[in-house]
Amino acid sequence: MQELWIRLQLIFTQLAAQVKAAVAAETEHVVLTVLDTVLPVACGVLRVLAVVVAIIILIRCVLSLVREKTGKEIWGWLAMNDGTQLDLRHWENTVGRGGFSDVVLDFPTVSRSHIALLRDDKGNWKLQPLQTKNGTRVNGKPVEHTVPIKTGDIIDLGGMPLEFYAISDQEEREQAMRLGVAERPLSPAKTLGYLTVFQLMMAVQCLPGREGQDLIMIAASFGILLIAMWAMYALYRTLKRTAFEPETIAFFLCTISFSITAAYSPESLLVQTISMLLGMIFFLVLSVLLRDLKATVSMRWAVAVLTCLLLIFNVVLGEAIFGAKNWIDLGFISFQPSEFVKVAFIFTGAATLDRLFARRNLIFTILFCGFCMGCLALMSDFGTALIFFVALLVIAFLRSGDVGFLALMGTAAVAGGWMILQFKPYILNRFMAWRHVWEYSTEAGGYQQTRTMSAIASGGLFGKGTEESFLKNIGAANTDLVFGVISEEFGLIMALLVVSCLVILAVYAVRSAATARSSYYVIAANAAAAMLIFQASLNVLGAVDILPLTGVTLPFVSMGGSSMISCWGLLAFLKAADTRPNASFSLKLPKRIRGWVPPDYDRIYDGWDEDYDDYYDDPYYEDYDQGYDPGYAYDDPYQYNDFDGYDQPEYTQKWTLPQPEQEDPYATRHWKQPGDKPSGIDDWQSLTDQRPMEDTIRPADHRERRTDR
Amino acid sequence: MKRLNRRTAITLVLVAGFLAGILFFCIQLFRNGNDWVGFFGTTYYESGAIYDSKGVKLYDGETGEYAEDWSTRVSTLHLVGDRNFGTSLRSVLASRLTGYNPVTGTTLGSHDVTLTVDASLNTTAYNALNGRKGVVAVYNYLTGDLECLVSAPSYDPLNPPGDINENPAYEGVYLNRFFSSTYTPGSIFKIVTTAAALEEKKDLDAFTFTCTGTYQIGEDTITCPYAHGQNLNIDQCLASSCNGAYAQLALELGGDTLEKYMEQAGLMESLEICDIHTARGSFEAAPDGSSYLGWSGVGQYKDLVNPCTMLTFLGGIANRGVAVVPQLIEKETLSGSAVPAAFPDGTDSFKIYDETTCNRLKEMLRNNVVNQYGQSQFGELPVCAKSGTAEVGGDKQPHAWFVGFVDDVNTPLAFLVLVENGGSGASVAGSIAAQVLSQAAAN
Repeated sequence: MQELWIRLQLIFTQLAAQVKAAVAAETEHVVLTVLDTVLPVACGVLRVLAVVVAIIILIRCVLSLVREKTGKEIWGWLAMNDGTQLDLRHWENTVGRGGFSDVVLDFPTVSRSHIALLRDDKGNWKLQPLQTKNGTRVNGKPVEHTVPIKTGDIIDLGGMPLEFYAISDQEEREQAMRLGVAERPLSPAKTLGYLTVFQLMMAVQCLPGREGQDLIMIAASFGILLIAMWAMYALYRTLKRTAFEPETIAFFLCTISFSITAAYSPESLLVQTISMLLGMIFFLVLSVLLRDLKATVSMRWAVAVLTCLLLIFNVVLGEAIFGAKNWIDLGFISFQPSEFVKVAFIFTGAATLDRLFARRNLIFTILFCGFCMGCLALMSDFGTALIFFVALLVIAFLRSGDVGFLALMGTAAVAGGWMILQFKPYILNRFMAWRHVWEYSTEAGGYQQTRTMSAIASGGLFGKGTEESFLKNIGAANTDLVFGVISEEFGLIMALLVVSCLVILAVYAVRSAATARSSYYVIAANAAAAMLIFQASLNVLGAVDILPLTGVTLPFVSMGGSSMISCWGLLAFLKAADTRPNASFSLKLPKRIRGWVPPDYDRIYDGWDEDYDDYYDDPYYEDYDQGYDPGYAYDDPYQYNDFDGYDQPEYTQKWTLPQPEQEDPYATRHWKQPGDKPSGIDDWQSLTDQRPMEDTIRPADHRERRTDR
Repeated sequence: MKRLNRRTAITLVLVAGFLAGILFFCIQLFRNGNDWVGFFGTTYYESGAIYDSKGVKLYDGETGEYAEDWSTRVSTLHLVGDRNFGTSLRSVLASRLTGYNPVTGTTLGSHDVTLTVDASLNTTAYNALNGRKGVVAVYNYLTGDLECLVSAPSYDPLNPPGDINENPAYEGVYLNRFFSSTYTPGSIFKIVTTAAALEEKKDLDAFTFTCTGTYQIGEDTITCPYAHGQNLNIDQCLASSCNGAYAQLALELGGDTLEKYMEQAGLMESLEICDIHTARGSFEAAPDGSSYLGWSGVGQYKDLVNPCTMLTFLGGIANRGVAVVPQLIEKETLSGSAVPAAFPDGTDSFKIYDETTCNRLKEMLRNNVVNQYGQSQFGELPVCAKSGTAEVGGDKQPHAWFVGFVDDVNTPLAFLVLVENGGSGASVAGSIAAQVLSQAAAN
């Protein structure tokens, strides 16, 4: 009986196993067939959709940056004895007769650049005479060197008395609140939502053909990317920062980077993910550091010395990977110091306004750059050396404005290059194939470029997916030829979007310069942007044989940890120049005023209801998007013209001379009332510029109100 | 700060440079993407298949497989090619085989190309050459379809000979002689001289020549193999290929006239067939009255012709003065289906001589076969032909030529056979032509 039972059991188990196996085989077969036919089509559709979503993301970022006028902050005034006030719009202002001065005083006894008025982040002001010919006096005492000044001081410029006012803490807070309410970016959360969809689409495209460990790796990396992105945004919101466009663009580029890395080898995603997280931390730390300009400037020397030591260390102990000896292997981790030197170079190369007027202010920077380039040349990393040189040119031009000097440096560089070729003629061989790569298609000179161009053409506008691509298997494809890899896998449009991302970042840096507080931020942002753009040019145009192939990375996109971290570092410089209220970590946010309600005229609303981050109770909210008339803002040509009329000579007269007989525009203009026509933001801007600030600041009663300092 | 603000334009200059470079690249991509994608070095991109006119697979890019049959592989090697052949279809059709277009790249799949060439004819022709170097080509002079194209020496692409670079038997093996070589035409050039004489000399029908075996020009002598006889008319001179008579005609016509008729025949042109550019023939007008001029009139001296243009020229005579440029592609379809993927290649043609001249030439060439070479070897086919024995100097055997066409609308075939160092034209090359023609006509 027992035997029978055992036998029966055995038969059943065998039967069950067979059925199970048969069913499993059948299901597997069906599933595989479905996957084989459906997956490629689905991925193809996803690729097209991903391009559409990517375009939406970038358009939203651009719109957000463009629509939002960078706020024109006012940090103080100079009052003339007729009551005219001259605004101090930056932390660093030059005062003089020349049209290029920030405050123009068209009097014969005032020098072209007479003085500089400098503010630090604590609100302390000082005056730096920029010349000695026409005298400068503060409260009657002649001044030859930088002196501190405070509200109420009388500054005498060549016999022209001016009363100096700095805004109070209260006013600074009000100003920040006011600008913060009026100027809001397009909802970053929504853009991030699109980016999340984009990331999911890209992740899914990387899955076909992968199994087991790889799938987990891909899912985990994209998951971390997503979480990190939202966590950073949450941090921003907690700290009352709302502008997230440059970060969004960086995350977009990181997504592309993750995708091509996943397509090549999912194991490498680990490095990429870790370095992105490190990069984000670096970005935040650097942003916070950049707040304190004084500390930043004082750290320049230390950073320079450290950098030099790092480079020397690299030259001595460097490991050669892909030809250049620019790696340091610490056993557990290997990295490329030259990437970090880029950040250090900008950190030390940028300068505040007072330095710009010092004589021979560039020598230190040039020496430092020369040292860096020399070390890089010793490491045979000529691509990075070239990037340093261009960054130096940009910094030198920004600091000196001297085209002749640029020409001189350019000539010196050409001569230096010629000298190098005399001693090391083999370098010339690298350039032999340039513009003739098809003739060198089987040799080192043209091997990579020809395959890149072939791959780009084969990908068409929408790419052929991660599985089919071949370029990724060519040496250094995911770093040097990454433009081709993106084109092949995700299409030319996607690759061009990546390019436009970097262009947007650069234009953003230039735009921020108009309202930046300190020249340090402007120089740093523009040098960083120039570095990114030039590096991208070398990478992209080098891979397709428009420039010689130098083997530098594409910012944020190329595989590689050091490059990723340093790019986030460069992004911190870009972000620091952004003076939009609530934009940057690098700007200290003044303490909020409890219960503060913005004046009616600050409530500008033009229809982007979903984007409106509602900080405060707004009873009129519903009414703002009704009947917007875009032409409204430009009805008044006089005001419109003045909007960007900095350079016009009449500007100062119009704005500084009292115009009592003129009707107060704020009385006649309809400010927002319930049911009223809202106006465009341009309108508000132009009015803000003209506003006599009667509700907040009035020079006449300034001294009475000012008790805090 | 205002000043600094203006200086930031330098960043925009860099941006502008970057964008200009990108734009330049995009324009290049749009214009040359076709060539890039078919770039031969990226073997990764080989896709699509090449079939002969009967549907025999000659090469499959996806799998890298050649035809199964050894003789098919060998006889179509120069057409299909491997990496070493610049004029092979795998190379010149690469972008079409990949199915490239600028919008979708190669993502929509590859294309199959069906050739006009019949691989079995190729096999026959290759076997008939019997290991000698040379060219055999047959084409339809009405439609331009190349039905047979063999260039020898050849080898099996699956098993390339190890001594291919040293062994003189493989000299010039990577060259498709039909497209890329030029040869001394020898007596087949007399067709051109005859055409010039027909148009330039009104009294040609009254022309007679007495061949003594030698013809004296100044101190030099033009020789014939033997004395062809007395009072030969022009038909007999061509049939017997009398050098003396043609030397005299050349002297009477002058070098420039000959060059003009060579040009008119299209023999100095480079034809374009599927992006393959044929080699140009050449003719150097020797000084009037010199023996060189005499030699150039009989296809020696510095005369050079390309087999492809020569074949087209013969097709032109057969087609009464309109030469149809040969073509290789019958159709292009999406891989693995019969769906057409491209418009058919249009036929291209050009005018050579007057219709009357061509008709007269036809008669004379027909006369050659009937009275000289023998009709029997061609069966029923009304073949018009001219043989040639081109002296190549040194102690080498002369090149053997046999060129002509079938003057019949039902079998409108022009043919060309060249056996390098083959010896006497009519006997060596003629028999090969007869074999290939009989099979081609049977199709």
